[in-house]
Amino acid sequence: MKTILRSQELSCPSCVAKIEKALKNLDGVQEATVHFNTGRIEVEHDPERVKAETLVAAVKSAGYEARVSAF
Amino acid sequence: MAGLKTRLQDIKQRRELLLITSGSLIIAALAATHLFSFAAAGRWLYAAAAIAAGWDIALRAWNSLRNRHVSIELLVTIAASGALLIGEVWEAAAVTFLFILGAYLEARTLTRTRKVLEELLDLAPMQAVVIRDGRELEVAPYEVAVGETVLVRPGGRIPVDGEVIDGRSVVDESAITGEPMPEVKTAGAAVFAGTINQEGLLWVRATGVGADTTLARIIRRVEEAQEEKAPTQRFIERFARWYTPFIIALSAVAFLITRNVELALTLLVIGCPGALVISTPVSVVAGIGRAAQRGILIKGGEYLENSGKISIVALDKTGTITRGRPQVTEIIALQNVPQLASAVVPAGETAASLPDQAAGVLYWAAIAEGGSEHPLARAVRLAAEEQFGPLPPADEFETFTGKGVRAVYGNVEILVGNQEFLQEMEVTITPELQEHLRELRSRGHTAVAVALNGQPGGVLGISDPLRESSPSMIRKLREAGVRRIVMLTGDDELTARAIAAEAGIEEVRASLLPEEKLDAIRELQRSGQVVAMVGDGINDAPALAAADIGIAMGAGGTDVAIETADIALIADDLHKIPEAIRISRATMRNIRQNVVVALATVTLLLAGVLLGEVHMAGGMLVHEASVLLVILNGMRLLRI
Repeated sequence: MKTILRSQELSCPSCVAKIEKALKNLDGVQEATVHFNTGRIEVEHDPERVKAETLVAAVKSAGYEARVSAF
Repeated sequence: MAGLKTRLQDIKQRRELLLITSGSLIIAALAATHLFSFAAAGRWLYAAAAIAAGWDIALRAWNSLRNRHVSIELLVTIAASGALLIGEVWEAAAVTFLFILGAYLEARTLTRTRKVLEELLDLAPMQAVVIRDGRELEVAPYEVAVGETVLVRPGGRIPVDGEVIDGRSVVDESAITGEPMPEVKTAGAAVFAGTINQEGLLWVRATGVGADTTLARIIRRVEEAQEEKAPTQRFIERFARWYTPFIIALSAVAFLITRNVELALTLLVIGCPGALVISTPVSVVAGIGRAAQRGILIKGGEYLENSGKISIVALDKTGTITRGRPQVTEIIALQNVPQLASAVVPAGETAASLPDQAAGVLYWAAIAEGGSEHPLARAVRLAAEEQFGPLPPADEFETFTGKGVRAVYGNVEILVGNQEFLQEMEVTITPELQEHLRELRSRGHTAVAVALNGQPGGVLGISDPLRESSPSMIRKLREAGVRRIVMLTGDDELTARAIAAEAGIEEVRASLLPEEKLDAIRELQRSGQVVAMVGDGINDAPALAAADIGIAMGAGGTDVAIETADIALIADDLHKIPEAIRISRATMRNIRQNVVVALATVTLLLAGVLLGEVHMAGGMLVHEASVLLVILNGMRLLRI
């Protein structure tokens, strides 16, 4: 299932790799792509094993506030 | 204490708190050392400042390390810790403080460049009221199913794309269609998600929901354009990926060679080529965002770059230079045509009353044009229906593309079309007919001949007037540096030239079939020039696709145009064309400025550190300043 997160705080392009790795290291996440320019984060994950709130928390631990978005 | 804990949890507030703490400690240390000559206390205060700001950086460095990622925070942590260890407390404090200050300022300013997207996203309401089992239920807009009925209260935002099934109101659609005047909506009217319902209650049947709405398409298009990596950006990112490990290696080597710990640590501080990597994206995001705010949806970096280089603009006539709503403005009946006096109708039908011969011309022409979707046919039908009411359908009907129509009604064979068409159908072309046709065309009308039973009957003058904004738009295009402006049309030469002259266009290619418009574009491109074509997204699709930049006008509400045109202009406003060129050029200039600043900074910093002229605090200061400079420069685009 694909969840879209949006973060307004991405300020250094190096945070792209940081956030992607933080998300991909979660059990149940298959793919994570961070679009620096627009702050959009696409996560492919198994909803049974990891919920949207966990994704948001993972991004937070990398240092960035994010919220779930419909599109 | 609980309040403090929540404060620390929120990233933004934590950053602010640490900034204030660290900053105050540094000021205290400065005072102690220089005002009170209490150097020892000063050193402890510096150390405290470094730890206050540093522990947060170290935490994030650790989190990233656990994910097997070497982050810039790690480099700063090592540099600051190393500085503390060798007793350089001022450097440690300054570096950590500046790093957090930089992050804080960068976040705030970059947010501003992303605000256009935010504003578009904010148009989507959070709630929708859907009617299920006779009850009103509040749900998220994307939870509404297609076909369900949604209730929109006055003042509320419409949550879905749909059709009004009941109610009456006035809706502000400017965000989606660019129409500044609110539209009246009653049963049967189409509405868009994100528009504002002003006065009355509306019951809407959902046809598009969530990602399937025009609003979502516009947002996605702006996003895709902002995210697309222009070639310059991809190159810079590849460069950045080896820059950081290179700096780490260089730092290690420098330490081994010179045994100068501070030099090695300072190199770590400039390990992230921040300004360089941000240089292109910040301008692209701001430029595309600004254009979107002005109702210009640019597809991406490549089109941004090319728009700046446009030298030839090809314009479709109907609907672009002209209003696209042709009207019958003149009806001329030729002398001595018997059928015009009395409408002979099939047995059993009532004869239409034809007040005069001119009306007869219109009447017969309209019957013949009954089956045609061509805009000219519609103009004729509209005029006739206004005068006679609903028209009887023809018994036989045949279209000849680009030439005319043939129909039979009762015992009358009707031909409507241009002179060549009538000649082909073996109608005698009288000098009188020719003269009327020529005269109408020389005045910018489309002249259409009507023949009954092989004899010329009359002429219709259909006029599609110039938009008032056309002449000034053409002028602005030339001012923007466009060297050649060409009008393409399926209309005939004389008519086309009359309109072109009024608009100020010198080059005209007339009587073009759709494929010939495509050929015209290719021919213009042959000189290696960048050719833009402006037209209606649907009918001119092939030519628009062939052009280097296809510009669709009035795209708001037309999903096809939004998705496929290289530049989609939401409103039906000609002045957006030179504006699009202007914004593109400004964005390209901005990118070049940023890249120069970033490159200069990276080289100067590297040289400075290696020559021993620049130290940790200075290096961090220059680095952060260059990033901010680049972002602020990019933000200038938001105001052009």
